Amino acid sequence: MKRMRRPVLVAASLVVALTLSTPGALAADVDEVLQAARDATFNASRLTISVWGGRTQVSDQWVEHWSGGEVVRTNSSWSAYGNGRAMTMGDSGKGFAFMSNRPVAVSERYSIGNVSDVTHLRRECLRVEINEGDIRRAVLIVDKLTGAILRSDTYTDTGKIFRTTSLEDFKPYRVYAQPSDSGSIPLEVVMHADSYGLPEEIAGYTLVDVFPGPGSSEQGFYSDGLFSFSLFTMSKQTKITGLDNPMAFVTNLGVYDMVPTAQDVRLHWSDTESNFVLVGDLPPDHARNVLAELPLPDAGSMFTRWWRRLFG
Amino acid sequence: MAGVNPVSERLSMLMSCYLDGALLAGEIDEVVAVLDSDLDAIAEFHRLKGARRAVRLLPMLEVPLFLLPGGHLSEQLSAFLDGELTTAEVPIVTDHLLTCIDCRHELADLDKSRIAVRALPGVEPPEFLSLRREEHVKRRGWRAAAVVATGVAAVTLAFALGPFSSSSETASVTITDLDARHAAVASVPALQVSTP
Repeated sequence: MKRMRRPVLVAASLVVALTLSTPGALAADVDEVLQAARDATFNASRLTISVWGGRTQVSDQWVEHWSGGEVVRTNSSWSAYGNGRAMTMGDSGKGFAFMSNRPVAVSERYSIGNVSDVTHLRRECLRVEINEGDIRRAVLIVDKLTGAILRSDTYTDTGKIFRTTSLEDFKPYRVYAQPSDSGSIPLEVVMHADSYGLPEEIAGYTLVDVFPGPGSSEQGFYSDGLFSFSLFTMSKQTKITGLDNPMAFVTNLGVYDMVPTAQDVRLHWSDTESNFVLVGDLPPDHARNVLAELPLPDAGSMFTRWWRRLFG
Repeated sequence: MAGVNPVSERLSMLMSCYLDGALLAGEIDEVVAVLDSDLDAIAEFHRLKGARRAVRLLPMLEVPLFLLPGGHLSEQLSAFLDGELTTAEVPIVTDHLLTCIDCRHELADLDKSRIAVRALPGVEPPEFLSLRREEHVKRRGWRAAAVVATGVAAVTLAFALGPFSSSSETASVTITDLDARHAAVASVPALQVSTP
């Protein structure tokens, strides 16, 4: 028996050693990669470039990230995010604290594709492909030491990159930087609300939580674990400001007002009764699929269309 | 002095225990014998007594209830809902809420009452309460103007309800506000995904 046991042990050890030395062992599934990235501690400059409707949006920020939070400086303005809170700092600083503890799992439609060793910013990294079915949805460059995602390229369903995020001047530690007046920012606390109208799932995105929004609106937060969006539903009479000079987001079902930023996209439309605003970081093809399952934009009567054509 | 000489250091410790009433019989004899003869020891003894008195005379600090283990947050919850807590206080409250079911229930009840109050219909005060007497006198003069104003309002309303305008109410939201709300909610799962 002992003679038999030795080769088995050697073979088992070999298998374990090979498994551990494979880069894939460090990126077993999408959940693990994303969780490690959330727990990473670093400060860096973050450049985000995205392309929506043929126009390029660029954002250059300094970020300090740690498990459960992130402080962001854009030009001279500061903001902080984490644990359900988002706040802008400064004289007119304000913020929100959302009470939610519903877990979000990464959708089964995502899987890890090719994983390989690369060197990026002179650091040992893994290049991890995340696939959605047969298509490549994202390529991440993950720092082996910290788990931070040093670069991510997100693709559309046609294989084009629509957003790139890259870190520069990466330092794997915190400097605890934030403006001194951050302790006195008023926070609006928002509690979970019951919803009777929002679908539980839209195009692969699960309804995670519902909250009361501003102006008697309702906020439904949807996520598939990799991307997320909030759908705000409000009365048609509610005026939405900040959507000046929108671009048109055209699907085969209608035309939507679109104001993209480097990080996310805002889409606005209304039907006969309600106004809708969608804010999220989802790719354009996902946005199309989501919009197809929501109330369609109201084209208006012939007279209204004629009036809009004349006067905008 | 006490820190330099090891014997004095031991004596200093013994005298401190003596003041606390924590010495054994033999040790008490030792301290008393030294205090009878050693001037340095007597000076050290007076210094220790002075320090103790100073500590006793410090004002008592009241520890906030929510900082004590097992304490509840009744007083802070309302301020929490109204967004009146400082940024430093919010994590204390949210952390406590994660572990205290009583406070979570109380917070939910408070929130329900707040929503119920908000949902109450607005009541217009009767005319005799809102108008002062002199305004009553002037009212006749305004009646003609009111007829004209009503006409103008009717025309405005007709325009507002028609295709000439898309808005007839004052409720408005900014897109940056919606952005911030999304960012706040999106930051929640960051801590929750790993929870089994």
